[in-house]
Amino acid sequence: MNAIEISSLKKTYETGDEALKGINLNIKKGSFFGLLGPNGAGKTTTIGILTGLVNKSSGEAKILGHNIIEDFKLARKSIGLSPQEINLDVFFSVRQILLFQAGYYGVPQKKAEDRVDTILKKLDLYHKRNETSRHLSGGMKRRIQIAKALVHDPPILILDEPTAGVDIELRHMLWDYLKELNEAGKTILLTTHYIEEAEKLCDEIAIINNGEIIKQGETKSIIKEVSLNTIEIEVEESDNLKLSDNFKYTTENKIIKIQTKEVNKEISTIIKEIEKTTTINNINIINSSLEDAFLKLTNK
Amino acid sequence: MNIEFLTFLRREVYRFMVLYKQTIVPALLSSLLYIIVFGETLGNKIPKEYFATSYMSFIVPGLAMMSVITQAYQNSASSIMQAKYLRFIEDILIAPLSGLQVSLGYIIGGSMRGLICGLSILIMCIIMPNTDFKVDNWLLTLLYLLTVSWTFSAFGVIIGVIAKSWDEIGSFSNFIFMPMTFLGGVFYSLEMLPGWAQKVSLFNPIYWMINGLRYATLSIEEISYITSLLICIGFSTIFTIIASYLFKKGYKIKS
Repeated sequence: MNAIEISSLKKTYETGDEALKGINLNIKKGSFFGLLGPNGAGKTTTIGILTGLVNKSSGEAKILGHNIIEDFKLARKSIGLSPQEINLDVFFSVRQILLFQAGYYGVPQKKAEDRVDTILKKLDLYHKRNETSRHLSGGMKRRIQIAKALVHDPPILILDEPTAGVDIELRHMLWDYLKELNEAGKTILLTTHYIEEAEKLCDEIAIINNGEIIKQGETKSIIKEVSLNTIEIEVEESDNLKLSDNFKYTTENKIIKIQTKEVNKEISTIIKEIEKTTTINNINIINSSLEDAFLKLTNK
Repeated sequence: MNIEFLTFLRREVYRFMVLYKQTIVPALLSSLLYIIVFGETLGNKIPKEYFATSYMSFIVPGLAMMSVITQAYQNSASSIMQAKYLRFIEDILIAPLSGLQVSLGYIIGGSMRGLICGLSILIMCIIMPNTDFKVDNWLLTLLYLLTVSWTFSAFGVIIGVIAKSWDEIGSFSNFIFMPMTFLGGVFYSLEMLPGWAQKVSLFNPIYWMINGLRYATLSIEEISYITSLLICIGFSTIFTIIASYLFKKGYKIKS
């Protein structure tokens, strides 16, 4: 059984906007899954449907085998959501917000208190437990959002832009924590604008664009399949240099930029070809990234 | 009842209890001022034959009901509006709670506030010096306070869900409930009105509610208290069904 199964999911808003055009997506248990896409691609709509914030138009979705409509209580109990927008209750202290949150998912009071305190300490918020959210910094609010998602110990975490607006130090701290949670067995579905974040954390990704999944698979495979590595070679003289048609390259200021999928296979051939004409001063290899793949697939 | 629902209910009650200076105290204070100003000053000038009790006691049930209506409506409508505005309603919408449970959480929360305010006003008037106010039938009194509170709390839920702005919530309170309450016999007996106005008053449900409570407390029965009770139960049932349906469908709160 998959953690999340989505089939032929469609959403058309009242305005006529077709946010999802029948997407299919399977997320394995225990995976760290990234759902990437430009603004308005359908990421938040997908998450909204899974969590009950958005009504689907058609199609089906299951969380750990529980249908999100017919078995919505079991489906929702399996999920912890950290939404993109900060949405903290302004009336209560941080600790009280988390205790209520745990209670909404059926966690008994005593157990909830222990869990809340543990999470607050883990996220370095324990000293702020009696403050209301108005008195917290942006980074702290973001951490409380994540604490809210975790407080009922769900097997699946859905994190919509969990590190948006946080500083680098905190981002790295959250990355480490999320990795730790994933290693402990939690399935994580992440959406992010930081492609580096997805590349670093996600073992599998799906790229969504205009309401359609345009690519899904292992992160490394997608990078390898879609984008090209770049070999930069600085030469003594580039004016009369001509490489065979097998290579796609550009020359600028005595630097030849060659794009290839297989660096190891092709670099010796390239070097030989160049050395027939000129001397090589320096070689620099730039590995392709998920960002390249993302931009290529979304035509940005 | 499960932990999920009870937690939500606790949150709703805790919210107005934490804010008691905004939610409970002003209601008591304004009722006290009405009683002192209207009861003491106006009461002495109104002929005694209109009422079976002192004028000050006569107006207490109406004032209690006025407070119950306002507080119950305001509680659920503003709680939902705040949650929508600051988006923490999403915590409730994604929780494993049914539409009925969510609506009942808000309704009972509002009802509790209305009930506490109404009861506090009645108790305050009993212990106040120089008044002959009393409660003849506590059980019926509680039943009236609860059903009226429930009715307006449920109505507040409906408006809270539908309303796009605070203005819309305030408009119902200022332009509908306030005139209906004042024209519902808080300060006068139906006999004091001309014939046509008496007939019109009978179409005002708040008139029935006030007179029901007046019967329960002072045993003054201008109209059938049974009919009055049935009206309260009928409205509370209808509004609860509508509120629950709105949450089930996510009307105006889900995309």
